[in-house]
Order: sequence, then C-alpha cells, then structure tokens
Amino acid sequence: MNKWMKTSLALVFGLVLAVPATAQEDALKGLPGYVDFGELQGVYGEPKVMINLGGSILKFVGGMTKDDPEAAALMDKLKGVRINVYSIDGNPDAALQKVSQIKGMLQTGSWEPIVQVNDDGEQVQIFIKFSGDLMEGLTVMAVDETEAVFINIIGQMDPAQLSQVMENFDIDLEADLDLP
Amino acid sequence: MIDKPNDKPEYSPDQCIADQATLASWEEQLNALLEGELDDEQKQQLKVAAAQDPALARAIIEAYELQRALDAIPLQAAPDSLRRKLARIPAEHRKKTRPAWLENTRFRPAWVTALAAVPVLMFALSLRGPAEPAVTEPTAAQISQAQQELAIAFSYLEKVGRKTGQEIGTTVNNEMQQTINDNMMQTIQDQMEFNKERNA
Repeated sequence: MNKWMKTSLALVFGLVLAVPATAQEDALKGLPGYVDFGELQGVYGEPKVMINLGGSILKFVGGMTKDDPEAAALMDKLKGVRINVYSIDGNPDAALQKVSQIKGMLQTGSWEPIVQVNDDGEQVQIFIKFSGDLMEGLTVMAVDETEAVFINIIGQMDPAQLSQVMENFDIDLEADLDLP
Repeated sequence: MIDKPNDKPEYSPDQCIADQATLASWEEQLNALLEGELDDEQKQQLKVAAAQDPALARAIIEAYELQRALDAIPLQAAPDSLRRKLARIPAEHRKKTRPAWLENTRFRPAWVTALAAVPVLMFALSLRGPAEPAVTEPTAAQISQAQQELAIAFSYLEKVGRKTGQEIGTTVNNEMQQTINDNMMQTIQDQMEFNKERNA
C-alpha cells in the first residue's frame, strides 16, 4: 500500500471516529453552563477518558429509557455531559495549575463554589451556575496523585433525581477502567 | 502534504476477480463503518484488512468521500411523477441496457465509478431546497455507546462525591460529617434549596 493510500485511510478512520465528538463539543460551547477546560494533552498525553455528549444524543438516550421515568426526565433536561480524565502518574502540578486557572475563571463568571477541598497534592472543586432557581451547569474538578478529573454537566439537573438514575447504571468504575 | 500517486496500480484479471470477491465480502462491514455501527474491535479488524488489501483500502476511501459529498447536500423527495416513472422501469431491463464493458468490473477503471456518481450529485443538487441543517438520527449503536459513556461520566461524578465526603470527613467533626458525608448530591440539593429561598 502506498503512502497516499495509507494517509487517506488513516484520515478516513480518524474522521469517522473523531467528527461526531468534535461536532458535539462545538455545539455545546455557546451554552451558559459550558466550561472550557483547555488543554492538558501537552503534559499528560491523550485523556484516558474523554466524553462529549450533546443534548440531541442525550434525548435519544432518554427516549430509550421510557420504562425509567426518572432517567427519562433527567435526560430530557440535560444539554450536555463532558468529562476529561488524565492519568497524571504522581505529577499533579500542571493539573492543579489548570484547576486554579479554571477556578478563577468560574468565580468571575457567576459560578458558585459548592465544595472545595484543598489538601497536599489533592484538590476537589465543585461549582454550580444558577439562573434563578434553575441550575444551568455543574463543574467538578478533582486532582489527586493518580488522575485529574474534569466534569462539566450542562443543563438542568435535580441532584436527587441524578442519584436515583446513577443507581440504575450497572457499571463498576474501578473494575471497568482499572482504577485504583 | 499527501503524495498522490501519478499512476494507479495495474492488476491482472485474476487479481481483479479476487479483489472483487474480497470487496464483496467486506461490503457489509464497509457500510456498517460509514453508518457508525462498527464497534472498536470491528473497526480495528477492518483497518488491519485494509492495510493488507489496497483494493479494500481504496474502496473505503472512495465510499467515504462519496458519502461526505452526499451528506453535504440537503435533499428533498423527488417529485411523485418522477418516482412513478422510475418505479415503472423493471430492474431486469435496466440491467440489460447497460453496456457489457460496464458490467465487467475487471474493465471498469476507478474514474468510471467516480463519474457514475456525478449524475446522482447533479440530480440531488437540482432538487436541493432551502439550506437547512439536516437532522440526523443516531444509530442504535451510537445510542448504546452514549449510554455507556453517560454511565462512566456518572460513575466518575459519584466517585468524586465519595472522595469529597471522605475528605470533608477528615477536616470537620463527626457531627458535620454525618450531615454531608452521604454524597455530593445532597450538598448540591441543599445549595439549590438555599438558592430557591434566597430568590423567593
């Protein structure tokens, strides 16, 4: 196989996989609950988990769970779910710096701090953005010695509802992703 | 910069027959790839096969390019009169009226395939309506993948919540911990209720 064909084939497979995720990320950028987490690939490489789900696909997921009204109601109000998880292998400095940078950005953007944990080399920051009584976004940033987790949930979310829905998802995070 | 070859590889008739048979066997997989219905393992299998089979690789690239071109065109349904006329053409008649050299895939160069797409594109362009974004429905595989991704996202949320409870537990007294240690969601719930009261 020649170089041109190899390159084209790689592009095809790359585009088939990458375009939907990129398109969904772009569609979420204009929403008030969206948070730009920036880039950490330069320091830690590709994220071990990278999820970008837009409102349209979430509605379809909600449509598939009609027998679970709690899940359907939750999905209907969500506009986006994004998560980036990096393996940091005992080198949390860049991730902590990023958390600090995003924290400053959120504080000037009318996000309210809900939980803040600052420990030696470990940090958890949880922010919520409200519009009146409604939640527009939830941002969770957690860094420890092994990984940096950035979560952004866009749209209205009733935490009590979310807890119930989470119980219905049959997933063992530690086992499935080989987490500590 | 991609180096495009000046000359296409020439195949012997036997090799072409073998290639066509191979392509036919991969056709289903290729369609599934373009529909986004292949899982990671199946994609990897197809990729490995394409790396070893230039005809398959070329077929994937051409099919993908054609799909992109067609996807970029907003389509409207053909007029009823035209559809009725098309329906009246028996499939057998269409087949018999094709030139023999076109039936023999061994003598069909790649540019014939490309040219064959032109009338389809021209017809589609002639029917294009106002430029509206096409609403595409995700496949069952895409929805299933989204469900799994959502489960992972929620699990991370829960994991951070547990960690937050534990961390808070080490820094505040037990009574305080009891109030907020269950999970992060309760804390958020409290904040939302507080927010409602504040706005009332």
